[in-house]
Amino acid sequence: MMIDPVCGMEVDENSQYKTMYKGKVYYFCSPHCMKAFQKDPEKYLKEGPKGMPNE
Amino acid sequence: MSKKEGEKLRIKKEEELKVVGMHCATCVSTVSKSIKSVKGVKDANVNLASGIARVEIENARLKDIVEAIKKAGYDVVTQKISFKVNINPEDARKIEEKIEEIKGVIKASVNPTNGNVIVEFNPYSITSDELAEEIYKKTGHKVTKVKSEVTNKSEVKEMLERLIIAWIFTIPTLYFQYSGLLFIAFLSSIPVQFYAGLRYHLGAYMALKNKTANMDTLVSLSTNIAWFYSVYALIVHQQVFFDVATLLISFILIGKTLEAYLKERISVQITSLKEVKATLADGRVVKASELKVGDEIIVKSGEVIPADGIVDEGSGEVNESIVNGESLPVKKKKGDAVIGGSTLISGYLKVYVTRAGERTYISQVVEAVNQAQTARLPIQNLVDKVASIFTPLIIGISAMVFAVWKFILGFSTEESLLFSVATLASACPCPFGLATPLAVLTSVNRLAKKGIIVRNGESLETLKKVDTFVFDKTGTITEGKISVRAEGDKDAISYASALEKMSNHPVAKAISSISNVTFEVKDFTEFPGSGVYGKVNGHDVIVGKREFVLQNCEGEGKGDVLVCVDGKVSASFYLEDKIREDAVKVIDYLKRMGKRIIIATGDTSDNAEKVGKELGVEVIKGLSADEKAELIRGEVNKGRIVAFIGDGVNDAIALKEANVGIAISSGTDIAKYAGDIIIPKVGDLLTLLEYSNLTVRKIKENLAWAFGYNSVLVPIAAGILYPTLYLPPEYAALAMSMDSVAVSLWSLVKI
Repeated sequence: MMIDPVCGMEVDENSQYKTMYKGKVYYFCSPHCMKAFQKDPEKYLKEGPKGMPNE
Repeated sequence: MSKKEGEKLRIKKEEELKVVGMHCATCVSTVSKSIKSVKGVKDANVNLASGIARVEIENARLKDIVEAIKKAGYDVVTQKISFKVNINPEDARKIEEKIEEIKGVIKASVNPTNGNVIVEFNPYSITSDELAEEIYKKTGHKVTKVKSEVTNKSEVKEMLERLIIAWIFTIPTLYFQYSGLLFIAFLSSIPVQFYAGLRYHLGAYMALKNKTANMDTLVSLSTNIAWFYSVYALIVHQQVFFDVATLLISFILIGKTLEAYLKERISVQITSLKEVKATLADGRVVKASELKVGDEIIVKSGEVIPADGIVDEGSGEVNESIVNGESLPVKKKKGDAVIGGSTLISGYLKVYVTRAGERTYISQVVEAVNQAQTARLPIQNLVDKVASIFTPLIIGISAMVFAVWKFILGFSTEESLLFSVATLASACPCPFGLATPLAVLTSVNRLAKKGIIVRNGESLETLKKVDTFVFDKTGTITEGKISVRAEGDKDAISYASALEKMSNHPVAKAISSISNVTFEVKDFTEFPGSGVYGKVNGHDVIVGKREFVLQNCEGEGKGDVLVCVDGKVSASFYLEDKIREDAVKVIDYLKRMGKRIIIATGDTSDNAEKVGKELGVEVIKGLSADEKAELIRGEVNKGRIVAFIGDGVNDAIALKEANVGIAISSGTDIAKYAGDIIIPKVGDLLTLLEYSNLTVRKIKENLAWAFGYNSVLVPIAAGILYPTLYLPPEYAALAMSMDSVAVSLWSLVKI
């Protein structure tokens, strides 16, 4: 099990929402989380999950 | 909300819907929010594990809730049943409303031209059997067949039977009445009045039961007034009018039989595979519907190919006009795909079936066209309003006509009655009900024959109002055959080529064709809209858009697509894609029409700008599928009417957001295309626009016929020009029934 870096939920590797950043693959529970991460990956990697994004 | 409006809506407590596509907490909150945004929803409880949304409703329509969920990007499990009812076209809306009042019904569409009804319902709240029972209770119509196949008992045949009986007994009625043998005239008029005219009396009764009035009411009322008055007159030895009653029915039946024939002709389906026979490789002959995937079939010249498949042996020329509207035959040889419904003109083919039965292309087309035919165009609302007050108004006028002739002008009861009956018989609300659907039906069928599949009939009307056309670039405006120029490390180029063989993206296909060296690829992962990753020959390789690769890799690189090997940018690709000739024509035409044109593309390469410059069109590049949809949403919110034209697979969300979504298909699997309309190539947009104009014009002309006919006939029948011009009831009836014939014929004429 992986952790969605945006909301902190557990996600599995079959999730269709994924992106690569600095050579590492990140998985998300929803398109909203993936978008939030893509906007500012450093924020989530440094500060940890923030919970569900509003949008 | 007024009390009447409140009654129209269904007042219910709870409904359970099965939502598809939820996989996380965010989804639950999105679905829940979307349901609650619907007016009249009191509460919504969405369960992620079961996928069930329990909704508390007060005066809300289930249809709105399902639409809200779909708009949020999820789907709802629904079921559909089809059946046939015998109705007057102008009653279609009322029947729809009645069915939609039933608990669990999401949407009902009645096709006024052929009486086909499609009901979409929530299988979690009502079963199809219960629904059938409820429909019978509410409307008096029996649901004879539950399932998508519709029974098609010929209406023409039934009408013809009644017409023949009518004339067999009308002629002796006239003879005996004019010979003074009144009692025999009375006897011979009975089969006409009560057998040939039965459908009108039953229709009038049904209308009365539903507290409405329609064309049947007018016919039944006028013939019954004439017939029962004649019975009374026979007893008290006064003038009888059995001739009027019988001729009225016989003449109406002539027009209505002709109308039924025309309606049936218009709704004749594009080729259906159900009846086609197939010869298996072992010589057995079976029905096309019995074929299974994996069967091998033999097709000889002149035969229709009974299923979708791949040529396994032989070769021949196939007419695929059913798919793309092109009548030029296409050569097929071993390994080529063939589509069921197309015809082998010459040669011999052994075909391996890949899709059979309802999954074949042609079956999907028939299904889509069937749905489009039941479309309800916005213009129909006005028509419905007119139709609903029309009959009561005519009955009122008819009573007034009687009063004026009898009490003001001093004519006899018999004479006044004839004017009154003629008024009833001359008026017909039918063409109001037929005007729109017949025009849509004709266009939808004609377009299907050209390979253009209209899935949503309404879009034909909307298309005429579109002011902004947004095009996808790759494969729509350009040929989608991307040529690639590579620069950099040769090994990196080969690795990238090997890795891209795993992807279906058009750019990936172009890159994969650059090198033939094969490598072992492991851990392949695709990041839609960005790039791909995998281990190639033991190296970490990323191929993708410049920004995506630079985010994950060291180094710098120009080019549209970069290759990163073991953390370093090692090669780059430059892309070019030619503009399609027919796209140039379409863009030129739209420009001349003063339309706003945008090319929205995911492509970030310089080629995108080059295409825009060449066509003189605004280009917005680097958009993901979501961003394209957002762009369209933004335009729609600004009050623009937007059509999106793109590849159905990648642009599904954008197609849904647009007022009219036009998908371009290669013509094999229409189910996966999300658009309202599917066209084989961008050049067909011109044909589509032509038909959109034609449809709207036809509707207006049909309505003009309907209004014109009634407003000329009714006053004449009421006796306004008497004695210069006088219309006896039987001729008024004949003229009235020809009104619908005129509308039907006019729909068939392509001017």
